[in-house]
Amino acid sequence: MHSTRKRLIRLTMELVLLVTVLLVLLGPVLSLVLWSIAETWYWPHALPQQIGLQYWHQALGIHVSLAIGAVSILPALLLSISIALVTVLISMAITIPAGYALSKYRVPLGGLVLFLFLMPNAFPQMPVFVNLLRIYTRIGLAGTVPGVVIVHMLVGIVFGVWITSATFKSIPPGLQDAARSVGATKLITFWRITLPLAAPGLLASAVFVFIKSLEEFTGTFFVGLPFVTTLPMMLYSASGYNMQFASVIALVMLVPSVLFMVLVQKLLRAEYVGGMG
Amino acid sequence: MPVIRTAVAPPAARRRGGIPPYIPLLIPAVAFMLLVYAFPFLSSIVTSFLDQQGVPSLSNYRRTVDLYARDIIFTLLVSVSNTAGTILLAIALAAYLRVRNSRMSRFIGHVYKLGIFIPFVVVAQMMRTFLAPHGLLNVTLARTGFIDIDSPLQLFNFSGLTFGFMWKLVPFAILIIYGGFQMIDNSYLEAARSTGAGFFAMVARILVPMNKSSILVATVLVYAQIVSCFTLPYMLLGGRTPTTITVDIAHRVTYFRDYGSANSLGVISYALVLVAAAYYLKTSVRQYRQGADNA
Repeated sequence: MHSTRKRLIRLTMELVLLVTVLLVLLGPVLSLVLWSIAETWYWPHALPQQIGLQYWHQALGIHVSLAIGAVSILPALLLSISIALVTVLISMAITIPAGYALSKYRVPLGGLVLFLFLMPNAFPQMPVFVNLLRIYTRIGLAGTVPGVVIVHMLVGIVFGVWITSATFKSIPPGLQDAARSVGATKLITFWRITLPLAAPGLLASAVFVFIKSLEEFTGTFFVGLPFVTTLPMMLYSASGYNMQFASVIALVMLVPSVLFMVLVQKLLRAEYVGGMG
Repeated sequence: MPVIRTAVAPPAARRRGGIPPYIPLLIPAVAFMLLVYAFPFLSSIVTSFLDQQGVPSLSNYRRTVDLYARDIIFTLLVSVSNTAGTILLAIALAAYLRVRNSRMSRFIGHVYKLGIFIPFVVVAQMMRTFLAPHGLLNVTLARTGFIDIDSPLQLFNFSGLTFGFMWKLVPFAILIIYGGFQMIDNSYLEAARSTGAGFFAMVARILVPMNKSSILVATVLVYAQIVSCFTLPYMLLGGRTPTTITVDIAHRVTYFRDYGSANSLGVISYALVLVAAAYYLKTSVRQYRQGADNA
């Protein structure tokens, strides 16, 4: 009798917890969805009086009209994707050799090198962006796409080096030694043995750098504005004057994040996922 | 994993003359980091101690303290209290996930991760709609009779910022802390349960004491993220006072081109994370070294 009551209390408490967690987690997301389809929403109505996909149509470039203050997000989306692709390509070309070297060789002063790659995670990055802007202004990179790519590479390389070196480290050296012992050169061993085994980890790293670049805000804000309008920059400026349009952009930006969560969450350590926003 | 090294294994970096192979492999990445990270980082420190004529002085710090003492204290308060709140809540939820094994706990164990992957700029936009005076939260509270409809909660301040940070960072902290909790063998928990220990006793006597390091790592990372975050306070608080150091830096730069004060604020933000950063760097390098020895 006593234990049934106890179990009932516990079940009720668990149910309350579940409902609270769901409300807190999904409330803000629901709010975003409602705003993205709200065509008329006057306080204090609990729900929008009129809903429709007008803002979605505008944002995705299906309709063009100047009436509601939304514009097509496609140019910004394309720019964001192009910047992210270039960032991934250059970052991977730099981080794969570095990650390999850090995992396979005892580098003298290696501690110092590690330190250099860890610093951006440990300290606020904003002052660095501020001083990059100063340097950029002097050399004419401020407000340019290459300038933004360099900032995104900074974010990408820091994470990329860690993921790639962890990947290379996880490959048992015995396999490479075996290849070498039957006469394969170092380069062939790397190309035929090491690289294919590392491919999944390297791919995860590339996807990760891609997403980080798509989402990057602070660095682009300093060195890119007002000329380089990536999707986060467009979201930021829309947020000031048009809640519906900004909410549409925010929901579009959720897509890669959620896909990423589903795809690679098991491959990555928690601290890589967090970032410094 | 134990690996038997064969005789042909080329010992790392032992070569007959010439440059060691890791040098060309590392040069691009290291050069990039020196140019694009270390140089601006050092220049932020140096510039903060120079006046407008380039003469060493503390004038930037004097101006910063005059103008922003309140914001510096606000930043510290936000960071410390939000970190504490985040970690306590994360410990409680991670412990619940670890101790309970019901259908509900497994479901929560899946959905809680949502916030981790959503970037701060999207979180900020969510909070701008959700927490607004006429936003969904206030409408719901007014409809259910918790607040007066004519005086909605004003949340674009400390409270809203706290909600936003915790919304994103509690899941992040759970991920790390729950990872630590999973390493603890079930037998400990069963033993405690058989002697009649309740949930709180298990948390306080077993889970937390056996997981100090994962909790400490989560604390350090959450704290550093809050101090460094620009997006959420900037979009949520905007020009309201008090605000955080990061927002002040942006104001000094975008409105006044005042790099001196911006950099002194930047150095103050370095100082705020110094202990956390030192701990993070120390443990990460040590972990990496251990990993290298095991490989």
